[in-house]
Amino acid sequence: MTTKVTAPGKKSLQTSLEIGKAVKAYYANIKEAKEKGVPVIWSYGLIPREIFNALDAPAIYLEHLPVVIGTKQLSGHYIQIAEEEGFSRDVCAFHRCFLGCAVAKEREPYLEKFFAPPDIIVATNLPCMSESKSFLYVADHYGIPYHFVDAPINTWGSDIPDYAVEYYVDQLQGAIDFLVEHGFNYNRDKLKESVCLSKRLVELWNEIDGYRKAVPSPMSSVDGFTACYPLVSLAGTQLGVTLYENLLEELKQKVANKEGVLDNEKLRLMWFGVPPVYNMGLLNYVEKYDAVVVKSMVEYIVGGAYDPSIMDPERPLESLAYKSLVDIINPTSENMVDFVVKTVKEFKIDGLIGSVKRSCGLLPGYMRLIKDAVYQEVGIPTSIFDLDGMDIREYDDVTSKANLDSFVESLLASKRK
Amino acid sequence: MGTLETMKDIFDNPNKIIEEWKKDGRKVVGHRCMYVPEEIIHAAGMLPYPTFGTPEPIKKADSYFQPCACEFVRNLFDLALDKKFGFLDSMVLCNTCDAVRHLYNMWDTYVDSVPCYMVNNPQKMYDESGFKFYRMELEKFKKLMEDLSGNKITDESLKKSIELYDETRKLLKELNDLRKRDIPAISGSEFLVTSMASMLMPKEKANPLLRKLIDEVKNREIKNADGPRILLTGSIIDNPTLIELVEDMGGVVAVDDLCTSAKYFWYTTKPNNDPMDAIVRFNLERTLCACAHPSEDRYDYLQELIREFNVDGIIYFNIKYCHPFVYESAIFRKKLEEEVPTLTLEVDHSLSGLGQLKTRVQAFIEML
Repeated sequence: MTTKVTAPGKKSLQTSLEIGKAVKAYYANIKEAKEKGVPVIWSYGLIPREIFNALDAPAIYLEHLPVVIGTKQLSGHYIQIAEEEGFSRDVCAFHRCFLGCAVAKEREPYLEKFFAPPDIIVATNLPCMSESKSFLYVADHYGIPYHFVDAPINTWGSDIPDYAVEYYVDQLQGAIDFLVEHGFNYNRDKLKESVCLSKRLVELWNEIDGYRKAVPSPMSSVDGFTACYPLVSLAGTQLGVTLYENLLEELKQKVANKEGVLDNEKLRLMWFGVPPVYNMGLLNYVEKYDAVVVKSMVEYIVGGAYDPSIMDPERPLESLAYKSLVDIINPTSENMVDFVVKTVKEFKIDGLIGSVKRSCGLLPGYMRLIKDAVYQEVGIPTSIFDLDGMDIREYDDVTSKANLDSFVESLLASKRK
Repeated sequence: MGTLETMKDIFDNPNKIIEEWKKDGRKVVGHRCMYVPEEIIHAAGMLPYPTFGTPEPIKKADSYFQPCACEFVRNLFDLALDKKFGFLDSMVLCNTCDAVRHLYNMWDTYVDSVPCYMVNNPQKMYDESGFKFYRMELEKFKKLMEDLSGNKITDESLKKSIELYDETRKLLKELNDLRKRDIPAISGSEFLVTSMASMLMPKEKANPLLRKLIDEVKNREIKNADGPRILLTGSIIDNPTLIELVEDMGGVVAVDDLCTSAKYFWYTTKPNNDPMDAIVRFNLERTLCACAHPSEDRYDYLQELIREFNVDGIIYFNIKYCHPFVYESAIFRKKLEEEVPTLTLEVDHSLSGLGQLKTRVQAFIEML
């Protein structure tokens, strides 16, 4: 419950530092745009980033700002403010954190570098209800326009019917029209270019994943958590592509040199759920057992898990609609379960950790399904326990470590047999 | 037995309805949430059966759902695992909240005895492209119901079903209007039981009973009607206990905006030669569910209830982890309080902790 037991995660890659700088530059650009009078949009990552690129619209993403707040261990303060506004602890801690920061009378000087008040909100209901509802409060608070993009849930698996794609295209076009009405200029060529760059970004991400499958693992999920940032905020940009090219080169080198995160890797773990952003050091904690968290589902939280060949720059909106609908982060579980099973197999995972953020309506619902599927198809066990990755007030270091200790020790014991 | 007692008996013993329906080999289709069109199920010659929970503690479902999932949904799944819905020939869910979406995943994976289907409705109302999408989904659903029943659904049969269901809605609304009086003709708890019994029954039977009930109670005055008039809203309430609690504390539950009550009958379909289009528009030209958008529409509707039923205070009963209403109550609270005092209470679907609730409700009513 105190900040003393928490620690930032240890990163081992040079590119992680470059990505960190890109994050700061991204927010600096938004603040600069705001100062020049350009309206700032608050949105969510499953509204394709490429649309905002095509409109030259500065956008802050709800799934990222709370991470910035959380890594500085400030989430408890802002969550408290949201609770004072009437939001129950049952409501997603990410959203409470974001809401608290939005309505706070003042913010820490550090956060002011990242915070630009919204002028317009573009919300959606994919993947969960919180996305559309919490923004309503922000819109009321600032008295600003709010646009809702409705996304059908995926009940079709990988075979999305045309009428669903058409519907989502209409929804995305509606968002574009709304932003044009509010002063932005839409450039379809820029959208095509952005889709092209996104396709490249995900191809590179897949190549990166290819190297991350190596034993010993050249990159842990602590770096992965930073490395997924371009998928969130830099999709469809040359900067995102350049960062991933650099990451790929760095990993190629490490794999060629057989250089792993650990010298003596004995266990490979995957993390499902939100890791403690205020204490990413917990992911390094298992290293004392020569275990490494190789992969985390959260790295795919807003993309990167789809086949990039579905992206056709000549049909940009259709491609974006399709990729959003097949995304694994969907309230129906088929694609998510298949993806986790595939990842467990391909990354030679020995055990899956499922951390439950109790205020989340989405991820905890997958846990049992994934646990069963991974066990039945790969024979790999899962340990599920409570750990709110955003609300530092809920963190219990002793219990979290005890949960990890017992799971890792049991995995090692089975390996010895 | 008076008709109110008959309704209570049906509410307490829904199995009788099922047994009678199934005697002739007819099928029963369970459903949950308002975007599953009962008229299509009915037009295929089957009984649409709204699945409700019980106040029983959850047993098996907690090893599937995390305890942070809505307790109502966990309760439904518990009943399904326990084969309490074994009489259903199919279960149909729709795209409302995160918990119901996960119920679909769970049911589809772990309940072999009753197949589950998801109707994929838009959550954005008044949107032509949404109408088109929902129409496509409903055409698929119609085909599924035809295959399940072995009966063809014609435009005529669907129109008749719509007419029948609209009649139920009109009758429930007429009965509900008797609560507008200074001294209502029917109490909140009696009304909830009647409304839920009417939802459970074949409408061919419910409608004559409702007509009879309206006749019976239209000149009636409930006792203890001098307390503040309460609008009850929030998560699903499928048991009259919470309403009785408010009444016991001296409140008059003048109106309730619940899935088991007003939301079910507040609107009727608009005349339309194309019955499928009538259903599409019936569901997507209104925002009654807190999951849907625009939320302003729901706010206006609550205002309408406050005005029409002369409401003195609002109580939100939010089931723990019911995200739609937990959000809505926080978002609407300040605005609503400018109109009437509003109390938000977190409740367990299993009705534990009633003592604490009683104290808070009592304090609120005294304050009013």
